[in-house]
Amino acid sequence: MYPQLTTGAYSQYPLRKQRRTRTVTNKAADGSSIKLADPNGSVTEWQLQYEGLSDTELSNLQQFFTATEGSLNGFTFLDPAGNLLAWSEDLTNAVWEAGPFLASVGGVTDPFGGSRAFQLTNSGEGVQSVSQTLNVPTGYVYSWSVYVQAAQPTTVTLLLGSNSVQATAGPNWTRISFTASGDPAAASILFGVELPPGAIGVFGPQVEVQAEPSAYQKSTTGGVYQDARFGDDTFSFATTDVNKHSVTVNIVYANHL
Amino acid sequence: MATFPPLKTGAVAQYPATKALRFQNQIVRFVDGNEQRYRDSAGPLHQWVIRLDQLDETEQASLEDFFLSNQGSFASFVFIDPWDGTSYPNCSAGSDRLQLTSVKELQNTTSVTVTENRG
Repeated sequence: MYPQLTTGAYSQYPLRKQRRTRTVTNKAADGSSIKLADPNGSVTEWQLQYEGLSDTELSNLQQFFTATEGSLNGFTFLDPAGNLLAWSEDLTNAVWEAGPFLASVGGVTDPFGGSRAFQLTNSGEGVQSVSQTLNVPTGYVYSWSVYVQAAQPTTVTLLLGSNSVQATAGPNWTRISFTASGDPAAASILFGVELPPGAIGVFGPQVEVQAEPSAYQKSTTGGVYQDARFGDDTFSFATTDVNKHSVTVNIVYANHL
Repeated sequence: MATFPPLKTGAVAQYPATKALRFQNQIVRFVDGNEQRYRDSAGPLHQWVIRLDQLDETEQASLEDFFLSNQGSFASFVFIDPWDGTSYPNCSAGSDRLQLTSVKELQNTTSVTVTENRG
C-alpha cells in the first residue's frame, strides 16, 4: 500500500493529475468523422511533489519504492484528489448496500440548488443503513462526509468500519463528517449512514484519504486504483535541510494492465 | 444529450477564452494562374479553448467526471457558446487528454478544448 505521510495526508500541493482516454477516429474529407472508443485504453497519471519530508517519511517512500521494484509491481493507490466512493450521486447503484427496509428516491433538491440529492426512507422498526465497502488500506486516516437534512431533528450515525459517530440532521442541509481509521486487521472498510425509522435527505457522500473533508466531488468510478504502478524506475530525492527532503513521484494506472 | 457543465457561477468559460471557426475550402490552380475555389464542407466548424482557473474541488470533479463519462473525445454533447449563447448540439472534447492541476485547496486549474463535429 502506498504510504501515507505522518500528518495523515496522502500528498501535498501542487498535485497534477492527467486523464487519458483512447479514441480511434476516422476523419472524412468533408470534416465529418467516425469515432470508436477504447474504454480499456484509458490511463490515469498523477505527479506528486513532496516538500519538507521528514527522514521517516522519506524512508517510508523509499522502502515502498524498493519493495515494488520501481515500476515492476503494482499496488493500491488512492486518488489524493478524488472521492474514493463510487457513484456518489446514485445511491441505487449496486455498489451501495441498503438495508431491506430502506428506500432511496432520487431527484431531491440538494444543498447546491440542484436535484441530485436522495431521500432515504426507513420503513422498518429498527435502524437501517446505506453503505459502501472499499478495499482500501485499513490503517490509514479517512475523512467520511455527507450532507444530511430532515424535516424533524433526526439522529443519524456515520459508520466507518467498526467506528461510528452520531450527528443530528435538521431542516437545513448540514455536512457531517467523521475522521477515523479502519480496523487494522480487516481487509476493507465499510462507510455508511445509519438512520432510525423515518426519512432523511442525503447528498454528496465522500470519502477522502486525509484528515479533513474538502469540497464535495462527484464520482462515478471511485478513487481506489488497484494495481497502480510507479511511472519510473528511478527514485531520486533532494535533501534541503536537516530532516527535510523533497521528492517527486509519478504514479500510473492503466485499465489495460 | 449531455451538456458541457457550467461552473457554480453559471459561467462556462473564464478569461482568457479562445474561439476559432474553420472553413474547409479547396482550391484548384490552373497553369495560367487562374484558380477555382469551392466549398468542401457544409459550413464552418467551431472550436473553443476553455481555460479554467481557481476552480474548487466540486467544479474540477464535475469537469473530470464529464470528460470520463464522454470517454474523452468519443461522445458528443451540447455546448453553449459563451460569446453569443448559441447552442451547438454536436460537440466533443478536442483531445483524449485532460490535465488537472491542484495548486492548493480551492485553486485548481484545467483546460478543455471543445470541438464542433459534423455528421
